[in-house]
Amino acid sequence: MQNRNSGFFAGKLDELVSWGRLHSLWPFPYGTACCAIEFMSTESARYDLSRLGSEFVRFTPRQADVLAVSGTITFKQAPILKRIYEQMMEPKWVISMGACACSGGFYDCYCTVPGIDRIIPVDIYIGGCPSRPEAFFDAMLDLQAKIKNQSYMEERKKKLKEQFENIKNWRKNDGQCD
Amino acid sequence: MDNAIKDELAVDECWIVEREKLVEVVKSLGYDVLIDVVGVDYLGMENHKGKRFAVIYCLKNTKNMARVRIKVQVEEQEKIPTLSKIYPIANWQEREVWDQFGIVFDEHPNLKRLLNHVDFEGHPLRKDYPAKKRQWLSENDQMQDQLEKRLETLGYRVL
Repeated sequence: MQNRNSGFFAGKLDELVSWGRLHSLWPFPYGTACCAIEFMSTESARYDLSRLGSEFVRFTPRQADVLAVSGTITFKQAPILKRIYEQMMEPKWVISMGACACSGGFYDCYCTVPGIDRIIPVDIYIGGCPSRPEAFFDAMLDLQAKIKNQSYMEERKKKLKEQFENIKNWRKNDGQCD
Repeated sequence: MDNAIKDELAVDECWIVEREKLVEVVKSLGYDVLIDVVGVDYLGMENHKGKRFAVIYCLKNTKNMARVRIKVQVEEQEKIPTLSKIYPIANWQEREVWDQFGIVFDEHPNLKRLLNHVDFEGHPLRKDYPAKKRQWLSENDQMQDQLEKRLETLGYRVL
């Protein structure tokens, strides 16, 4: 854990925030193909993703934390996916589900994006065509482990530094933005 | 059928028609459903005689359940008369054929790309299109013009 050397109180706060984050990951289902059917199965009663705290599937990017891209992404659709990613609030994570989203799959042709990591940053890749619900669970657990190591205080420090520098520059330039 | 020649290679009923007589033949047949419009590119095919492209119209008569295919051969620069005045569905199907093969339909009401995106160059299902050539799109095209037209036909006023 990289973030635990910043004192007792800050360390505990860090732990608390990441604990809260990793147990309330609300996914946004970006389903375009058969992987979306498996994702529905993951969500429904037999497998029940709510056990991990992903209680709601939000159909608006402004309320979601995890973008679950399940299915083939074509070049015509690429700008839409990018816009949805940009509309999501920080902090946000991306799960690329299935062979098509990871690499284009067997659509090695003129119309399919060869992996969504050409457009947006991806945190977890899941293989399979389509991936099974168990694989999605495994990916969710991996993502939770990843979030556990992310430090809220470090992020905050970075952002505050940026803001202070912006204010300094603003004062230097006599109140004019660059 | 004076205007058509029977296709010897086909198993079922298929007629080869000159492109100038297509509308006349389809009208005289009087079949009520246009099932599909298919484009074919014969570039590099062995033992092929005739022109490079072909457009095949699959028709069906729902009264006696008869089916027929009509084949029109066409060269790259030549145009085919549109069937969208007889069958409204031909509008989109001909747009798709133009999008994928670059076969131009004469007097088509809205010959825009249907499957490929707006910045796409070339026609991907032609045999001389490089199979792994990829074309990126950065911004979607607006469907505003078609949407507004449709709203106006439904009685809405576009502000």
